[in-house]
Amino acid sequence: MLNFKINSNEIDNIGNFNAKEKEFRLKNLDSFNKNGFPNKKSEDWKFSDLREIVSKNFKKLDLKLVKTKVQKINFIKEFDHNYIIVTNGELTSSNFKFEEKNKIKVQSYSNNSFTNKQEENPLINLNHALSDKGYFLEIKENYKFKKVLVIYNLYTSNLNENILNCKNKIKIGKNSELHILEYAINHSKKNFFNNIYENVILEESAIYKNISIYNEKSFGYFHKYSSNKLDKKSSSTFFIFPSGLKFNKLDLEFDLNGENSECNLQAASYLNYDDHQEIKTRINHFAPNCKSFQKVKNVLNSESKGVYQGKIFVKDNAQKTDAYQLSKAILLNDSSEFNSKPELEIYADDVKCSHGSSSGNIEEDSIFYLMSRGLSRQESIKLLINGFLSEITDEIKSNSIKNFIVNKLEDQLHEHKKH
Amino acid sequence: MLVIKNLKASVDGKDILKGLNISIKPGELHAIMGPNGSGKSTLANVLSGKVGYKISGELKYEGKNLQEIPIDERAQKGIFLAFQYPTEIPGVNTSNFLRTSLNKVRKAQGKQELDALSFIRIIKEKSNELGMDEKMLSRQLNVGFSGGEKKKNEILQMKILEPNLIILDETDSGLDIDALKIVAEGVNSSRTDKKSFLVITHYQRLLNFINPDFVHILSDGKIVKSGSMKLAEDLEKTGYKGIK
Amino acid sequence: MKNENINHNQEYKYGFTTDIENIKAPKGLSEKTIKFISKIKKEPKWMLDWRLKAFNRLKVSKEPDWQKPKFPKINYQDLYYYSAPKSMKDKPKSLDEVDPKLIETYNKLGIPLNEQKKLSGVAVDAVFDSVSVATTFKGELTKKGIIFCPISEAIQKHPDLVKKYLGSVIPISDHYFATLNSAVFTDGSFVYIPPNTRCPMELSTYFRINASETGQFERTLIIADKGSYVSYLEGCTAPMRDENQLHAANVELIALDDAEIKYSTVQNWYPGDKDGVGGIYNFVTKRGACRGKNSKISWTQVETGSAITWKYPSCILQGDNSVGEFYSIAITNNHQKADTGTKMIHLGKNTKSKIISKGISAGKADNTYRGLVDIGRKALNSRNYTQCDSLLMGNKCGAHTVPYIKNKNSSSTIEHEATTSKINEEQLFYCNQRGLNQEEAVSLIVNGFCKDVLQQLPMEFAVEAQKLVGISLEGSVG
Repeated sequence: MLNFKINSNEIDNIGNFNAKEKEFRLKNLDSFNKNGFPNKKSEDWKFSDLREIVSKNFKKLDLKLVKTKVQKINFIKEFDHNYIIVTNGELTSSNFKFEEKNKIKVQSYSNNSFTNKQEENPLINLNHALSDKGYFLEIKENYKFKKVLVIYNLYTSNLNENILNCKNKIKIGKNSELHILEYAINHSKKNFFNNIYENVILEESAIYKNISIYNEKSFGYFHKYSSNKLDKKSSSTFFIFPSGLKFNKLDLEFDLNGENSECNLQAASYLNYDDHQEIKTRINHFAPNCKSFQKVKNVLNSESKGVYQGKIFVKDNAQKTDAYQLSKAILLNDSSEFNSKPELEIYADDVKCSHGSSSGNIEEDSIFYLMSRGLSRQESIKLLINGFLSEITDEIKSNSIKNFIVNKLEDQLHEHKKH
Repeated sequence: MLVIKNLKASVDGKDILKGLNISIKPGELHAIMGPNGSGKSTLANVLSGKVGYKISGELKYEGKNLQEIPIDERAQKGIFLAFQYPTEIPGVNTSNFLRTSLNKVRKAQGKQELDALSFIRIIKEKSNELGMDEKMLSRQLNVGFSGGEKKKNEILQMKILEPNLIILDETDSGLDIDALKIVAEGVNSSRTDKKSFLVITHYQRLLNFINPDFVHILSDGKIVKSGSMKLAEDLEKTGYKGIK
Repeated sequence: MKNENINHNQEYKYGFTTDIENIKAPKGLSEKTIKFISKIKKEPKWMLDWRLKAFNRLKVSKEPDWQKPKFPKINYQDLYYYSAPKSMKDKPKSLDEVDPKLIETYNKLGIPLNEQKKLSGVAVDAVFDSVSVATTFKGELTKKGIIFCPISEAIQKHPDLVKKYLGSVIPISDHYFATLNSAVFTDGSFVYIPPNTRCPMELSTYFRINASETGQFERTLIIADKGSYVSYLEGCTAPMRDENQLHAANVELIALDDAEIKYSTVQNWYPGDKDGVGGIYNFVTKRGACRGKNSKISWTQVETGSAITWKYPSCILQGDNSVGEFYSIAITNNHQKADTGTKMIHLGKNTKSKIISKGISAGKADNTYRGLVDIGRKALNSRNYTQCDSLLMGNKCGAHTVPYIKNKNSSSTIEHEATTSKINEEQLFYCNQRGLNQEEAVSLIVNGFCKDVLQQLPMEFAVEAQKLVGISLEGSVG
């Protein structure tokens, strides 16, 4: 069993920090060392025992990583886009050729808000203690992006039982609009752990759209905590296609702080082998007249395990809340597993809140129908899985991006079929 | 029976009724016609006491100021509103609901409450008169009813509760000709020299079957013209634009 | 203990106390208390040993703290664990020997023990504080081989059945309150239905806490042997006191091949007053095992009382084709808190479960549905359907839904739906327009909202439950 304790010297190895920052990092390091990786005794990790997963798959977790030369990237050709390149979590280049440069600020990120808040998630502690890379992207007021921004997240071949701690921050000014495609490219053939802490701030009437997808399978073990704060009339939309990692936990929190703000989150994944994936959402309705929507779809093959934990919280003053949540899973194999915990905590009465969760196999009737029209059983199943997942992709408005995503998903499904 | 003087009503600061006058005597049947948004349904709601309206002006029913009386007591005093869109109430049995309602009204009027058997007798008789399927009575209140069934259910309740002032809020909308005749027959057979009717409608259709004593045109929150059945016929020819 | 109080409170009509002389165990929780209880019950040694084993376990276990409603610390040494009417010391042979004051109490509660005034075909076991005072219709049931008696009597007369099944569904070590119950349980009902027998009437236990500073710890054990059927009803009330009283019962159900048990509860313990003073802490463990193939266990509960309720009547679906059902109405008003739901553990093939939960929250109350559906790897072709609806009245109360859903094989299907809404203004208006006042309208609409559950109750209970729904919400809509 891997006993992963970190010496406080490691903080000095990352950089020279002022007293305040050093104290913040040390405090968080202490918390992490005390608790270690979370196990299923912790309510938030009930369905994903990370301690066991890490112990089983890692002999060590190396904090040091030798920087590699700038790598060549196969840029997306299907549509025009701005881009930034993030190599192993580090911001390495950016290009905003379609935009007004003075409206955009992009730089390597260093944290400068050291709250005293005691984080209960050991991985956030770990990140607060040791984060040494990441980016900060700011869009000034009243600026709408003309083209999508692609973030190429590159993982290099020299990653080997490393742990990365990245901190990213995105701030979108009043009345501005940003569309991001997060696109991960993996060259590593070895296990590595990526622990991301993300902060997204939407000012009044800001619009944020985010689509994320992994280009190929990797041996990555990912944890991402994302805090999203929405001011009035702002809106954020997420399309997440998270399959492709050995382990992935997305812990997404949305604070609807301003009236008439809304968030919409949709996810579709196909899991295979012993992939383990958890999506956890917490939507906090703190103001009246806000809307939230989550739809999470999973197709689970072989011994894969899918988890969805979704909580909708409605504060007493958040009247006229409209909140909806749905999770659906198809289990293709008797060794696969789907767990969910859809939770409502509601203190306002004039609200419309509901959730649904279902899991099961593909309807035999549907397979029968398709087979009676001449398709083989395999073809029928594939068609039905495609149909199941395309309910999410169909919602993407831009045709060129939609086609790009649909093709990538096809590849994922096909890739799995070959094995 | 009913006297309305300079009635004004607004919702969320938006004026809907802007000084409406009407007076209905016992036995009379008044029809109010008007285009969408003229304030027809607001008038019906205000008369039955629905909350959420800011009201001024005089509203007298049988000599008493209606504004001080809550909804249920108005119903007990004989004001009946047949809803434009009768509300679905899941889990509540139609027949049980009717009995509860009837006994509330009877009790308030000093009459004896009905036992289950005599109630069933009455409800059977009345629903047969209306050509209603008795099975409907054992279903949940308005849940899964077709538009026609809902309206017939409203007429059935009108028959059973025996109110004095009956307000029909676009009861004819969405009905086929047969259902329309049943509604009209329900109204005609209920008419006495004591009961008064206020029939709110878009079209002349229903009025052809029930012969109103007076026809009023409501436009922008006011009665702009009053007359006899002829007014309705004119309206059918010229449309609302022709009247003004 | 002479505190006959007359109360003028309309909201809780069962709030009176009965002035009766009691025998109590020494105050506090100790081996001495347990030995006292065991002795007064004339228990065999194996039973005492069983209790002591539980007591030893209790010393090392902790109160659970994961529930939503938190409660002030209970001083277990400040409670009486046994209290019985003095006149019951030598148990009466027939009803004629029962203290008339007790009979009067039950008449006041609407539970006639006198068989001439029998409830329509319901056999009643009445439990007053810690003991069973009377069981009706014994003769008729005995003819069919049905055993329906206080569990203290079963321990003496049917030790083999008790030894075999007691603790087989809720083990001694289960959790703090279940362990506490195992150590100090006083009385409760025992039911055994022989093979291929349909119990000809509803069996019912009526629980009443009377004495102050007393905890009530009943233990109920129901065994439905192969091919049998029984419907069992449970009702509860307590006097109004401004102290909190603890009620920690254990109920175990066992259904063998092709057997069916239907267990209905109308829980109306004193909920405390408008400001949240007093009321019962109702921490109950109820669990049923569908041990045989094609067996069925169905729980129906109407929870309107208690200051705090924690209970999760559960089904362990071991037998192939077995069925578990849970129908629940939980109403909380004023400062009441309820955290209730169920666990459906699917182990056998083709097992089915259904959960219908209706939560209504008013005043400053908090209402949580917490449930687990777990379909195991070997429970092929299993199904669950869950529906949780919450209704909120006002914005000072809370409604929460916390379901845990686990599906571990591809041939099984789980469906879960939940909604939260407020009472619909249009529906209230419609009812008002037909002459119903606000409270009548609320009661009618809420009863409609709960209909799927109410219709599961046996007739005699359904009427009472409907009235309770109305009464519990009085004053909740301004």
